[in-house]
Amino acid sequence: MLRDTLGNGRSLRVLVVVCLLVAVAPHLMGQTTATGVLTGKVTDASDNAVANAAVTATNVDTGQSRTVTTGADGTYKFDMLPSGNYRVKFESTGFNTVEIPSTIVSGTVPAVLDEKLEASASGKLATSQENLPNAPSSNTTAPTLSDLGLTPEQTQGNAREQALLDKRTHMLKIHQRMGLITTIPLIATVATSLNAGGKSTSTSSRYLHAALGGVTGDLYFITAYYAIRAPRVPGTETRGPIRFHKAMAWIHGPGMILTPILGIMAFDQKSNGEKVHGIASAHAPVAIVTAGAFGAALLSVSVKF
Amino acid sequence: MDKKILLAFLLAALPTFAAADSQWILKQSTLTYHVSHPLHQSEGVSHAAKGKGVCHAGQCDFLIAVPVKSFDSGDSNRDLHMLQVTRGAEFPIVTVRTRLPESAETSSTVNADLEIQFAGQTAHYKQVPLKLETQNGETHITGTIPATLTDFKIEPPTLLTMPVKNEIPVRVDMTWRPQQ
Repeated sequence: MLRDTLGNGRSLRVLVVVCLLVAVAPHLMGQTTATGVLTGKVTDASDNAVANAAVTATNVDTGQSRTVTTGADGTYKFDMLPSGNYRVKFESTGFNTVEIPSTIVSGTVPAVLDEKLEASASGKLATSQENLPNAPSSNTTAPTLSDLGLTPEQTQGNAREQALLDKRTHMLKIHQRMGLITTIPLIATVATSLNAGGKSTSTSSRYLHAALGGVTGDLYFITAYYAIRAPRVPGTETRGPIRFHKAMAWIHGPGMILTPILGIMAFDQKSNGEKVHGIASAHAPVAIVTAGAFGAALLSVSVKF
Repeated sequence: MDKKILLAFLLAALPTFAAADSQWILKQSTLTYHVSHPLHQSEGVSHAAKGKGVCHAGQCDFLIAVPVKSFDSGDSNRDLHMLQVTRGAEFPIVTVRTRLPESAETSSTVNADLEIQFAGQTAHYKQVPLKLETQNGETHITGTIPATLTDFKIEPPTLLTMPVKNEIPVRVDMTWRPQQ
């Protein structure tokens, strides 16, 4: 019955593969998202928010620690904290330091840890620095960035440049993904070329080859668009494998324009019962060079030679 | 007459007291971060760090600053990607602060507590082992900071949709000299 519904055994195999992928996907995703969130609020005895309190989370197993400070509302948050058992310390000027020995952070639900701090009886300033044997100093003798000869221009951030970099990375990420996706129909097009040309060809093979070639071309130009339109960063000299990657574009770019034009000519000649002749006979060599340059461009940024 | 002698003695002693606050200058440095990707490994190197140490009452406060842009991995595309993910345009300087006892100069190893500001975040690394070697009045320091991307809330850079590993250990190789 099931076999009838699905039509044939091939569909059943496809269904099995899809089911397996669906079953395995959450496990694979779980391996890549083994981080969690630890959040909470720090208050004083009167339930008033304690701002600028230092909250330090130390992984009990690895010893790695991270520190954040509470905001004006007394809240704090650790993002992307590797899952595990954490020792959490709360420190603030004028309050007793509190350490929570064990808090579990998992990737599923944000761990919430609120803390109420008591004012230190002696009025002694409890700072995170004091608990470290040779902690960084905040005293007046400590050197500053201006002592190092750094000008404010060198130390100040540039939000505009950051936005430019963000846009560039975003577009190049799409370029990479589209490039990988384009590889699939590109390989299929090359594979079907064996049945589309030569003496023993069928109309359906030629149509399949042409359709795959069309899909490849469309995806390729979308891929190229994201690379060409990605903003340039002024003053950056192109160095390393990316130079080869860009050089290859001067081969596969024109090739991707020329190949379908020659392909259409060859297709028409074949459809008319003629042998592919003239300039159309360059379709296959041009396509091979184009596909080779595309593959080399992809490898140049993927594998270190 | 006695007062004049006392005043002369105090004036003569002033430079001696002032000399108790010694200073160190970073003469040369090589900072190298290491990134692991499923397809290959890469390293970015900077020689552009600036540093100063000020010693007072037996303790020395050190500050090292290095521009994020100065790290060179040999691939401009990778460097720009690293600059973007580490928010290097917004937070252009990485700073490392530590306090060491003045006596550490004569030790062969020292465990330092480091405070690192990077990508708009501050992370503390406790008891990072550093090797010290003093020669011709200069102190050569080497060690590795066990930094991770999550310490600074940095989204892992990706290549072909595959992210790099979280660990980005930073090798430190510095030569300090006392300021004249």
